[in-house]
Amino acid sequence: MRDKILMVLGVTAMALLARNILVIAGFPNEANQGAIFKIIFFHVPVAMAAMLCAAASLIGSVMFLLTRNFKYDALAVSVTEVGLAFLAANLVTGSIWGRVIWGIWWTWDARLTSALVCWLLYAGYLMLRRAIEEPTQRATFGAVFSIFAFIDVPIVIFSIKWWRTQHPQPVFWGGGSIPGDWYLAALLNLLAMILFGIVLTSVRLRQEEAQRELDSLRRTAHAF
Amino acid sequence: MSPDQIVREAQRLQHNYEFLSYGLTAAWLILVGYVLMMVSRHHKLQREIASLRAMIEDRPAR
Repeated sequence: MRDKILMVLGVTAMALLARNILVIAGFPNEANQGAIFKIIFFHVPVAMAAMLCAAASLIGSVMFLLTRNFKYDALAVSVTEVGLAFLAANLVTGSIWGRVIWGIWWTWDARLTSALVCWLLYAGYLMLRRAIEEPTQRATFGAVFSIFAFIDVPIVIFSIKWWRTQHPQPVFWGGGSIPGDWYLAALLNLLAMILFGIVLTSVRLRQEEAQRELDSLRRTAHAF
Repeated sequence: MSPDQIVREAQRLQHNYEFLSYGLTAAWLILVGYVLMMVSRHHKLQREIASLRAMIEDRPAR
């Protein structure tokens, strides 16, 4: 049953993305930026999906510290890994967009820097987990680190409001004058990314279960 | 519009499309790469579990 649900979600995500690629290709080029502006339909949804993953990781980490139930730890690590992939896609698309519009691949403005720091923090979280052998200690240290890392998430989101940045103000859901069908395309891409993220997280959760089984088998093997 | 301006505009459009394709390709490569990494990790875990199970089942028989 779980497999079928995941399959349906995955196929829906892919169908939505394929439909959106066709729809977005049919949109006219933006007057000032030209075709490169269309990268926004990917750049923004992956960023939002990454931030949602960070929020889910925070919830998983807090719940682990409260309940000591390892399923929450598994959720936190799974969703963090998926979020890291989304954030990497966001940073790369942003950099390529910046190269065309600003003439530079990177600038140390508040939004870009805080997003990079966010990526490094969550990558650090995954590295920290690899460095600790004992499962309870690994989950506890990981949960505390993940909560600490989440401090950067509101800074990433609100940096363009709090500081004057080279990164523009929000175009979608921020007072920009975007046509209705462009909003819909962005919203559907966000939905597709969320569905894709749910599928990836579920698959990753199973790997965590398999990893726990492997750890238990290793203990049994050593006990002989 | 002068012919020079038309050429420049065409070049700008071409440049834009080129970078749009780079951006989308790079982003998809990251996501597809992550999926492939996950598939390879899944196979590795299954292999290790199967070999440990076989080892544990064999031991008491000795």
